[in-house]
Amino acid sequence: MTSGVVPLLTSSAGPANRARLPRPAAPSALFLFAALQAGAAIAAAVALEDNASLAWGLLRADPTARLFVVLIDVIFLGIAAYVWNRARAEPALEQVVREFARMSTAFMVAANIVVLANHLMVGWIALEVTTLCAAPLIVRRGVPASRRASWRYFLFSSVGLGLVLVGFGCLARSVELSGQVPTFFIDDLSTLVNGPPTPWQRIGLALVFIGYGTKLGLAPLYSWLPETYDEAPPAVTALLAAVQFNCALVCLIRVLQIYRAGNPELVANELLVIGLASMAVSTVSVIATRNFKRLIAYASINHAGVIAIGLAIGKSASYGVLLYVVSNAFIKAILFLTAGKIKAHYGTKDTREIAGLIKDLPFSGVFLMVGTFALLGFPPFGSFVGELIILSGLVRAHQILVFVLFCGLISMTFVAMGRTVFPMIWAQPKRAVSWPRQTLLGALPKLAFLVALVVMGVYMPSAVTRVFRAVAASLGGE
Amino acid sequence: MNGVLIAFALVLLLPLFIATWRASLLGLSLQGFLMSWIAFHRGVEWSAAAILELVDLVLVRGIGAPVVLWLVMRQQGVRHGRPLISSNLLSWGMALALVLIAFRVADKLVPTDGEAQTWVAVSTSGLLLGLLVLATQTDAFSQMEGALRVENAIALFDLSDEPHSPVGVRLAQSLLLVATMALFRWYLVHLSREANAPAAPEAPPL
Repeated sequence: MTSGVVPLLTSSAGPANRARLPRPAAPSALFLFAALQAGAAIAAAVALEDNASLAWGLLRADPTARLFVVLIDVIFLGIAAYVWNRARAEPALEQVVREFARMSTAFMVAANIVVLANHLMVGWIALEVTTLCAAPLIVRRGVPASRRASWRYFLFSSVGLGLVLVGFGCLARSVELSGQVPTFFIDDLSTLVNGPPTPWQRIGLALVFIGYGTKLGLAPLYSWLPETYDEAPPAVTALLAAVQFNCALVCLIRVLQIYRAGNPELVANELLVIGLASMAVSTVSVIATRNFKRLIAYASINHAGVIAIGLAIGKSASYGVLLYVVSNAFIKAILFLTAGKIKAHYGTKDTREIAGLIKDLPFSGVFLMVGTFALLGFPPFGSFVGELIILSGLVRAHQILVFVLFCGLISMTFVAMGRTVFPMIWAQPKRAVSWPRQTLLGALPKLAFLVALVVMGVYMPSAVTRVFRAVAASLGGE
Repeated sequence: MNGVLIAFALVLLLPLFIATWRASLLGLSLQGFLMSWIAFHRGVEWSAAAILELVDLVLVRGIGAPVVLWLVMRQQGVRHGRPLISSNLLSWGMALALVLIAFRVADKLVPTDGEAQTWVAVSTSGLLLGLLVLATQTDAFSQMEGALRVENAIALFDLSDEPHSPVGVRLAQSLLLVATMALFRWYLVHLSREANAPAAPEAPPL
């Protein structure tokens, strides 16, 4: 039974050594590792029997694990391809690429464990390991602000995960007070938790949500996110926004799967408030900022808010939340990798200094345009369908006030984003510049993500739909 | 045990009023040793996880973390006092108010008076005071101290119960704390060095 995931984890262990090979080999080794890992993840997701237990029961391949393992490994493959291409184009990056290869390999091993964990503490530890691996990668040579951003990221993560640990302690106390033996195994906990919530359980869940919410960039502990996403190198930002975000989300989903199985309304109001607050702060920030990386970062906070609202509603919104989550992973990867390219060429992140991208950098212009449309929830992308389902879930749940606020905030974000991004793409270029040619090879990873986005909005293969439905059902979906 | 918990509460509070970094580090070290004393005398069955917990408290929290920070501070030649919170009546009042809130929370969670209630109250005080330091300070040293206070509050809360995790998980937790300390040291060294160094050329982004 364990054979399916063994290659997934062992294939993760090798490239750490491969990354120390002579310099030109590091980007290729990283890409090879990412390709093997993605292949192993897809094979494991298809071949393993449902709820297969692995590594003495510490890991489990349930539908949630299958969906997110494939998602994060495929996105990492795209990031590795981007890094490989950057290393080819910029030989001065060799040393940086080697460091990235080493740390991101360890990061991905831990990320896979987070998603597969059947033990709350194992998931927590692996998530902390991803933080330890990512923090040094945020630092860029010659940019002191990036080290300060890295420090803030690490500090907020430590505190957030610390709160989660206190929350786990409270949840264990709650189980103990009900006369049962506490455990952190997810499948065992699911059978232990029943009856009305106790004060210990309520405070425990609140701390767990605030803690994991910190990693997701949800209010109130979100202020690390814009600074970190802005200062980190694009490949690292994509890793944090599209991979680590989903790891933290899986940890949150696990807790919801356990505690809301018998009580679907549990913590719904708290999630709604956190979600709306996150959307509100992100909308204000999107209006105010003139830095395009920060703009995308604030939009990420908005996404986290939408996801929190969708999770609060549960039921019919669950399927929409999953579509939205998966779509956004691809959108963020596309946009942050594109932002890196734009910054590298223009030497600025000020939106007022950049104009006529579609003429200057056609591929980047198209990706920024399509990514922004997808980000704003336009058809035919998966994010559109996801957002629509969440909105209809709000109406069905008679949350009309939340529905109105949600629509108002989304509309304001749309106007503010459009006002800033569209001139960057279509306005007349402000200076005559001759850019190096953009190759199709360099654009390939983003193109693949784009295809995935459109496919999710237009036609979902039945096998994929089944997995989505199974995960939605575990979240109380109808 | 109540006496030791009250001593722990005093060790949490006093360094907030004494504006030197040596007092802060001594406070952190004392927190580690007081928790070790509690772990040794709390009367749980001695399992591998419990022994590991004791080693973690003595070596990492009682000795390792304060010594690492002390060495960095000495290396940087820092002599002046560094208040953990601003030295004014408002900040001190906020700190005391947080302790009172912590005791009220404990009262709600554990309605019967006794050791269990004090335990929750002191752990919650540690957590809230750590968060106060984090929320009000901007320099890396004070923020690290705040984060370590939060870590110690969590450890104290954990001590009030039998260890529930397998020994491997417990070991991983201890190793994480060691790695976190190493990263704290790395930040502390480089952040202050970069603050005083001339601007270096920016490397191309990845």
